[in-house]
Amino acid sequence: MTVNHSYHGVLIGLFVAMIGSFFVDLLAGPVSLQWFNIWAAIIENKASLDSLIFFEIRLPRAILALLVGATLGISGAALQGLLRNPLAESGIIGVSNCAALGAVLVFYFGFTQWAWFALPLAGLLGALVSVVLIFLLAGRSSSTVTLILAGIAINTIAGALMAMALNFAPNPYAMQEIVFWLLGSVANRSVSDVLIIVPFIVFGGLLILSCGRFLNALTLGEETASSLGFNVQVLRWRLVVGVVACVGAAVSVCGNIGFIGLVIPHLLRPLVRHDPQRLLSVSAMGGAVLLLLSDVAVQVLSSGGELKLGVITSLVGGPFFLYLILKNRNVWG
Amino acid sequence: MRAIILIKWALVSLLSLTSCFAQASVPQRIVSLSLCTDQLLLMLAPRQHIVSLTRGAVDPDLSYMAAEANGFLLTGGNIEEVLPLNPDLIVGSAFASRDAVHFLRQLGYPVKLIGLPVSIAEIRDLLLAFGEWVGSPERAEQVVRKMDWQLANLNLQQDRVKKTALIYSSNGYTIGSGTLENVMLNAAGFHNLAVDMEVVGFEQITLERVVAAQPAFLFIENHIDNSDSLASQYVNHPVLDKMLLSKQREFIPSRLRACAGPMVVEAINYLYENHHDSKP
Repeated sequence: MTVNHSYHGVLIGLFVAMIGSFFVDLLAGPVSLQWFNIWAAIIENKASLDSLIFFEIRLPRAILALLVGATLGISGAALQGLLRNPLAESGIIGVSNCAALGAVLVFYFGFTQWAWFALPLAGLLGALVSVVLIFLLAGRSSSTVTLILAGIAINTIAGALMAMALNFAPNPYAMQEIVFWLLGSVANRSVSDVLIIVPFIVFGGLLILSCGRFLNALTLGEETASSLGFNVQVLRWRLVVGVVACVGAAVSVCGNIGFIGLVIPHLLRPLVRHDPQRLLSVSAMGGAVLLLLSDVAVQVLSSGGELKLGVITSLVGGPFFLYLILKNRNVWG
Repeated sequence: MRAIILIKWALVSLLSLTSCFAQASVPQRIVSLSLCTDQLLLMLAPRQHIVSLTRGAVDPDLSYMAAEANGFLLTGGNIEEVLPLNPDLIVGSAFASRDAVHFLRQLGYPVKLIGLPVSIAEIRDLLLAFGEWVGSPERAEQVVRKMDWQLANLNLQQDRVKKTALIYSSNGYTIGSGTLENVMLNAAGFHNLAVDMEVVGFEQITLERVVAAQPAFLFIENHIDNSDSLASQYVNHPVLDKMLLSKQREFIPSRLRACAGPMVVEAINYLYENHHDSKP
């Protein structure tokens, strides 16, 4: 009873924090807006300077930060549960970089005109390749060291292929833009960027959430899960497809924003008493909060928008990663 | 007596030697390392003294002198391509191929670099100096006189209140004070809002500030027309099409503004003719 009680408290608390940081992110920007004008635009459908900036620039940016943060949080929790490894995260094991590679190939070589979903689909396929590679290289429930080494290998290869693709891309800026793909950003995005990834993120998120009970059973081992009546093969693939759908789509418009999927599940796990199913939804909200606040920091620190969002999340996440390694050094041996 | 003759002879030979040097100081084999020096060479140097240009020189989108550049050897401006040409003068831009220039100077090749003029007066100085380097100062003076005459005869109707303008180009850059582009805007009768934002030179500004500035004319400059890139997403953002009260226009074509030279007159005229006069 008390467990349920505190879980609902955590859920409500995180939800309030998420909505709060969403509005703070909407407030943050180089131009100070008159909120009356935005209200007038909503009520009377009267366009003004302020409403234009609000609806065309700030709202897409904040929605993207929320969606992408939630994606990275939930996928981190899902991957850690699936691989039963505390360091599994889409950035560290190479999923994000492979998604970025897929997106780069489609984006710079003019395939985005083929279909509206070409870009997120390419990100999805790139991410899928990396997850399959991780399974092949590291296997399930392998040691952390093996997983990290496999991740380094995949990250390196994907990064090199991405640089090569950008080198050969038919435009002079492609190579400069590798910073975006490696660090990620939600700046200067439009409503259409939000719309193309929403279906993928909703689909992927729902798939992941539907596997919650399976993740709980998986903590007891695959055989136990199977004896409890779970179809391990099918559910594992369902989870993988869910993760690659939402991570692939998120990376394809915002680049590789690192460490959120690592930090958030670790911070929130004690709050849900190490329950993998409950960790999913709280990690989604926690990831959204962290990315929204990181974007606020970007807006405050740089008026020109030259600071990439991934710089902030890595500055938060990198030391945390080190802390995890130091804390668990004895356990991992 | 004998000694005097000897001294006379020595003097004469010395004189003839110096005149010989003067002859040699007009470079006969000039190699260019950059697009801007390509164009200056084609304007000022005798054609038979030009050995090679760079590949951009023949591109009509980039080069004002593209038609005149046909028939010359084209290089990518690399040391390895340039050295076998045995140049006696290498001209380049101070902002490009810095390493190559350092290396070429160490090897003892005479290298002359042009800067980036940011005013009409500096363009004048550049043309005259370049004329001296390539041994045709008279030609340079002629070009400068013609440019000054054209500038004086532009006959632009100036409004009492200048129209506000803002340049927005790929990667979110705008162009402020201390640039030739700013001089061109002013000459064509615009007030550059980037100067009010205290932008000096080229600087990135956010979309929000572009929208909030509310320029009467928003000059869009997309360096890449048909390929996807994040750089052009800045200038293709839907908010720019929805901006109130602002007219969106193409900025000066690259061939007129990529390099400084007498084409500045045409650039100013282009801004004036295509944008200033046209009423909505």
